[in-house]
Amino acid sequence: MSAAAGRQAARRSHRGRKRLRTVTSYALAVGGAVLFLLPLFWMVSSSLKPEYQVLQYPPRWLPDPIRWANYAEALTYVPFGRYTLNTLFIASMTIFGHLLSCTVVAYAFARLRAPGKEFLFLVLLATLMLPYPVTMIPIYIGFKTVGWVNSFLPLIVPAFFGSAFYIFLMRQFFLTLPLELEDAARVDGANTLQIIWHVILPISKPALATVAIFTFQASWNDFLGPLIYLHDQTKYTVSLGLSFFRSSYDVQWAYLMAASLVTMLPVIILFFFAQRLFIEGITLTGIKT
Amino acid sequence: MTLTGRAKALRRARRSTSLARREALTFYLLISPWLIGLLLFVLGPMVASLVVSFTRWDLLSPATFIGLQNYEKMLTRDPLFWQSLKVTAIYTCVYVPMELAGGLVLALLLNQRLRFEGVFRTIYYLPSVLPGVAFVVLWIWILHPDVGLLNTLLSYVGIQGPRWLADPGWALPALLMMSLWGLGRSMVIYLASLQGIPRHLYEAASIDGANSWQSFWKITIPLLTPTIFFNLVLSIISTFQTFTSAYVATDGGPLDSTLFYVLYLFRQAFQYFNMGYASALAWVLFLIILALTLLIVRSSGRWVFYEGERR
Amino acid sequence: MKRFALTTTLVILAVLLLTACGSGTEPQAEGTKMILRAGTGDSGEGLEPHQQIIAAFEDENPDILVQLEAVAGRDYYTRLLTQIAAKDAPDIMQIGDDAVPMFVDKGAFLPLDDYIDGDYPLDTSIYLPGVLEPGQWEGKQWLLPKDFTPLGVYYNKIIFDVYGVDYPTDGWTWQDMLETAQALTKDTDGDGKTDIWGIQLTANWTTGFEYWVAAAGGSLISEDGTEFVGYMDSPQTIEAVQFFADLYNTYKVAPPPADFSLWAGGNAEFDNGQAAMRLFGRWPQASYLENPSIELGVVGVPVGDTRANILFWGGFGIFEGTKHPEAAWRFLSYYTGEEGSQVWKDWAIPPVASVADEAGLTTDPIEGVWINELNYLVPRAYVFTPYWNETADPALRKALETVLIEPEANITEVMQTAAQEAQTALEEKLAE
Repeated sequence: MSAAAGRQAARRSHRGRKRLRTVTSYALAVGGAVLFLLPLFWMVSSSLKPEYQVLQYPPRWLPDPIRWANYAEALTYVPFGRYTLNTLFIASMTIFGHLLSCTVVAYAFARLRAPGKEFLFLVLLATLMLPYPVTMIPIYIGFKTVGWVNSFLPLIVPAFFGSAFYIFLMRQFFLTLPLELEDAARVDGANTLQIIWHVILPISKPALATVAIFTFQASWNDFLGPLIYLHDQTKYTVSLGLSFFRSSYDVQWAYLMAASLVTMLPVIILFFFAQRLFIEGITLTGIKT
Repeated sequence: MTLTGRAKALRRARRSTSLARREALTFYLLISPWLIGLLLFVLGPMVASLVVSFTRWDLLSPATFIGLQNYEKMLTRDPLFWQSLKVTAIYTCVYVPMELAGGLVLALLLNQRLRFEGVFRTIYYLPSVLPGVAFVVLWIWILHPDVGLLNTLLSYVGIQGPRWLADPGWALPALLMMSLWGLGRSMVIYLASLQGIPRHLYEAASIDGANSWQSFWKITIPLLTPTIFFNLVLSIISTFQTFTSAYVATDGGPLDSTLFYVLYLFRQAFQYFNMGYASALAWVLFLIILALTLLIVRSSGRWVFYEGERR
Repeated sequence: MKRFALTTTLVILAVLLLTACGSGTEPQAEGTKMILRAGTGDSGEGLEPHQQIIAAFEDENPDILVQLEAVAGRDYYTRLLTQIAAKDAPDIMQIGDDAVPMFVDKGAFLPLDDYIDGDYPLDTSIYLPGVLEPGQWEGKQWLLPKDFTPLGVYYNKIIFDVYGVDYPTDGWTWQDMLETAQALTKDTDGDGKTDIWGIQLTANWTTGFEYWVAAAGGSLISEDGTEFVGYMDSPQTIEAVQFFADLYNTYKVAPPPADFSLWAGGNAEFDNGQAAMRLFGRWPQASYLENPSIELGVVGVPVGDTRANILFWGGFGIFEGTKHPEAAWRFLSYYTGEEGSQVWKDWAIPPVASVADEAGLTTDPIEGVWINELNYLVPRAYVFTPYWNETADPALRKALETVLIEPEANITEVMQTAAQEAQTALEEKLAE
């Protein structure tokens, strides 16, 4: 076979293999998506059923009649509008606090040298391990002493002191960034804060987005914190609102599913838009090869 | 001098003491918020909980000092302590590898510039977005032995499903299944890292004649090791502390087959009001996780590759 | 574009910050009004009667404002505990009968006897039989009743009519119940699986076999609260547990449990019109009355060696650390007295006998059954010791799970093991 023909054959089989790969990828992605969506479909279907149909046997796939009223009733069972605003506020402030503190601390751990750094890093990891029920009571008594109970402060202020999880995440991310950019900036005379702001942050969008998404979600779904720190029902968050559908002996399935789906929406929307950030030019720009 | 040359010279220069001192100062300045928070929200309460672990305290009456009695009881007279350790260890050993591998596979799958990849990613991430309790309640219902989705689907293919959460042999696997639905979370972290691998590396490799399998092993995996490390450590730490699913779905049963360690701790603290014993349990958990993490961190020097790390 | 988005976000944040900060403090007394906090574990619609009573009380007592703090389900006790520990609990707290010994023993409540005979007296004879006792501990009254229910047997007339079986009547025996259940357990499509069940039971030992033990004349603990051995494994107890287990395993008239952790059991057969009877409390009654597959009848629990029933109960008490004990008492006696009962009667059985009579509940064919059962109450097992949670409860749970999951298990051995485990744990607790 001539060299050209050989190359052509290789290219054709390469294309064929590539097509097979693409088809398989689609099949897997779609198959997995269906599996993942099935429980959600069930959730939606139940949210539209009259309550007694939810636990029916044999189980129905489609509600009959479709009870749209479930949504209106579930969302007014308790004032979800107010709760949503409260939760949005807490979540946004927490994101802000995390992005501010964790970036700075993580950069220090990733790039700077200092005595005791290794030890402190281990301490950082160690703090991830302490189970929360134990520190819960002393911290609560502490907040009670300074009069912060029954306000949003205990839920927001700790975020400004960094969070081990996100510091760890950002540190790992920063370590994957090549040094050239920072070195160039330093050669140009930038100090550390300027480097962080002008060089690191613009190329850290995936990590920042991840921190924002996870923080939002954790804050949005946090239950124990609001449970013990918020006493006024007007200050309740969405997760406390959802708990009203579950009393000690009874679950109001249809309402719970309806309300859960609605309260899921902000997080999903945030995720859908934030993950576009991953796609828009995340390759390390600025390196002129 | 070239850019790299000047940078290297600068780096060499910075090893001199006054610059090194300035660097150390900057370091401590930058991490000060975290250090303060450490004192207020971590060390203080931790010391308090250690002290409490040497007492008997029901939260409502004054505490009595009892020395090491709680630890002694835990190790010699409490079969449920060992049961909860066993349950948690088995679950962690099975779940962590599955989560690690599963998240990676999903991320690789969705990193291929398929059409609608935004939609796919959102779909996979969706479940992990559900509020914890709602997530579990939905699954309790899916796993309902008589009217649940899972057994209904199995019956379509002629299988009589087990009684899942009502069966001591199947309850733990049921919880495993439930948790795997939340894979989207680890997938997202892998995706972020995959996106951070510069494309020109792959281009250079394919020009050199590497096929995708080789690129995968020689480029993707090594550059992903920081993320894998991250996910491994965090997965172990958080899986060891599994609580909500067991609390909501099974309350440790049936026959203590899903008695997770933190659930047992919670029960001791908030149902039996044994704050002292619960604190002791917490400290033992802490030590176990600490030991495991140290092991992984120590070994990480060997298999984790950082592109931008200074040696 | 980016800058615009950033600025907008910051503006929104600032606005939110300002508005939220304005509402972030402890409630202050408005002028001369005193503020009382009332904590409850009810939720959703169940909060309406609370709010109605509060509104009526505030009208009659313009110097007091009552704030309702509601948390649903199990988490309620978690929050209550942290509040009590930080001395920040609501002035009036609601707890269930199972929590009374524990909370009272730990000094969380104020004894009420002085108030009952004090300036705003309460005539405790107005209550239905048996509803005051759960609020008592060691001779004193600590809590007053809010709502309660004994156990009863629901039956679905539709299924009875289809198979031509007579409805159960008051005073029926275990044997009657068994025969009725057997007559109504059917495999309608011949596939070997039961489609209609005789009676749905609960796989939770308190709503499950505690009643059976009582009706067999047994008890789970000695009256002085120190002995499980000899009680939890007494012949009567074993006979009761055996009968209970046989309903599942031998006679197979009861559907297998779907969920061991849910207090109400998680089974859906009665709700779906697939079980002829259900032994449970009054809680789901409202939904049964609306359920199109059920035509509801209620009858008292069957009689064993003796006629016995157990009460499930919720009550209110005053937090020991309250700053307004007198005002709290005024509200409490209102809440749980006649005025409160006037509101409760639309939601549950009111604790005050005269209110129940006037509303026609005592003679109602369904509600009257619940009220009548109050005459046969025996004390709950856990009122005899404040350490029940940690000693007997886990042992009994395991025993229950064992008899239901392992049909070949020897009941005598199972109960003896349970008694031993509970005894050991109790002795350790008492030695502390």
